[in-house]
Amino acid sequence: MLKTNKFIQSYSHIRNNTVSKNGTLLFENASEAFPDFIKAAYNALDTGYPKFFKMDNLSKLAFLAADVLLKEIPSATNKEQNIAIVLSNRASSLDTDRKHQASIANKEDYFPSPAVFVYTLPNICIGEISIKHRLFSENSFFIFDRFSAEHLADYTNGLFLNNKAEKVIGGWVDFDTDTYEAFLYLVSDKGSIPHNKKEINRLYRL
Amino acid sequence: MGKGVAITGMGIISAIGNTVAENYLALIGEKKGISRIAWIDTIHKNEIMVGEINFSNAELESQLALDSNNNYSRTALLGAIAAKQAIAAAQITNIDTYKTGLISATSVGGMDMTERYFYEYLEEKSLQKYIDGHHAGDSSQKIAEQLGINHSLVTTISTACSSAANAIMFGARLIKAGKLDRVVVGGSDCLSKFTINGFKTLMILSDTYNTPFDENRKGLNLGEAAAFLVLESDAVVKAENKKVLAYVKGYGNANDAYHQTASSENGDGATLAMEKALKVAGLNPKDIDYVNAHGTATGNNDLSEGKALIRVFGENLPEFSSTKAYTGHTLAAAGAIEAVYSILALQHSVIYPNLNFKTQMKEFEITPQTTLKEKTLSAVLSNSLGFGGNCSTLIFTKEP
Repeated sequence: MLKTNKFIQSYSHIRNNTVSKNGTLLFENASEAFPDFIKAAYNALDTGYPKFFKMDNLSKLAFLAADVLLKEIPSATNKEQNIAIVLSNRASSLDTDRKHQASIANKEDYFPSPAVFVYTLPNICIGEISIKHRLFSENSFFIFDRFSAEHLADYTNGLFLNNKAEKVIGGWVDFDTDTYEAFLYLVSDKGSIPHNKKEINRLYRL
Repeated sequence: MGKGVAITGMGIISAIGNTVAENYLALIGEKKGISRIAWIDTIHKNEIMVGEINFSNAELESQLALDSNNNYSRTALLGAIAAKQAIAAAQITNIDTYKTGLISATSVGGMDMTERYFYEYLEEKSLQKYIDGHHAGDSSQKIAEQLGINHSLVTTISTACSSAANAIMFGARLIKAGKLDRVVVGGSDCLSKFTINGFKTLMILSDTYNTPFDENRKGLNLGEAAAFLVLESDAVVKAENKKVLAYVKGYGNANDAYHQTASSENGDGATLAMEKALKVAGLNPKDIDYVNAHGTATGNNDLSEGKALIRVFGENLPEFSSTKAYTGHTLAAAGAIEAVYSILALQHSVIYPNLNFKTQMKEFEITPQTTLKEKTLSAVLSNSLGFGGNCSTLIFTKEP
């Protein structure tokens, strides 16, 4: 495993109708459906980014989890800060793929929508984060069977060792039919939690 | 400053020719390959023009001596033909003498067969073979099989219109890092209803000949093509006493961070990509003798790319032109097609005209080269700017 002397500066979770940062609850809502929950969270967290409403479920999930971490960094300076993004999940963009598939399944009732189709890739959610926060940085999206702290940590350290990034947002953003889970963390020179596989796993399970 | 990676062979099939020589003759003869569509039965056939290759699939299959049970998409057929030309040009007789990889780019993969047979797949068993040919990686595997690459890296890059440029960049990096001795890099995309309808929906298809960098440009013509380069390590070049056509001297890829499809108005991504490529090459803007622009003739691209050129080159902008008026926009293959054209420009000391240009764009003062021009060239910069702001730049030089 590659090693660098970096720290997890902050982290966020979105799951079970809650949004939290560094383990502290920011928002909770009893809505049954994800779209209602995430819209309420967007409002409560004072996000102020109307393009949010055009996004698919996976992008909304990833965008809000990242926004919680990036809010504290003025976006005008992000370009200089060079924050890379390394995300992963299990279900890729299946939720939106299914919506698109349903619109083309029937030859007689064939009506695909470009607004849906554009989200039929998982890494589009990285694009949404990059657009909002003006990140011209390296990014990658991996599909795994399950959360893999080792892969994320290795890839992140590789970016640092090759001087490809000064900070990295890593994590897991998964959306499938009726389940969702986001866990993102910001790795930098600052902080008290060492950036390693053990700590990433610990924070993921918090 | 990095040393260049040697290019020892190239192959191409496009709307303006079935070989490197034919493509070159069309370029200097100012012969466009744009016409009404013949091989695809689309309801848009009277509203669009395309750069189509004048062979049926059956003719392409027979060129490759494939049996009737094959499940090649047109992408795989075109790719295999261009890649085999490149290997022959590099005078490679035994692919296994050196560790050889394949990096192939495509955006449509086997979509041409899928869209043709989709509604028959459930009932018609004889057509189900094409399901395996659908994904982008299948065309790469087939090209690898055709070249006899069985034991090494074979991978696919699909980053929209910058795909082949990224394949060339990735291949060059693998050679530099010593991971491979030799790598075949390029891309292939056939025409399909999928791309025709998609671009039609975006309202960026011209109903006539495309006119890059013209004030009254109406959009792009789609094209189909494939092109591949052979890159070899210095050790192989020396051991085999290889003739080097040119060098991949610089490369850069940047994220535009602007929109899922459109390019930023000020060309942020393209500017970053060109700056990175110059840095890798150890060159200054004034060292570039010709810019082979992406120049798709869409309102968005030409404005964005033109602004980026001004930002990077300022007063030092050399002659620039887009060859899309010849070939149409060949999507994932475009970076490789234009790599071949850039290398030919270096070899023959010639700058191709930006055909169909009439009216100066009002947003800026820069004007493309509109006539064939002889000029000694040492370094050519080629842009490939993809949807989603995936922007890439390659720099080719005569000297390492």
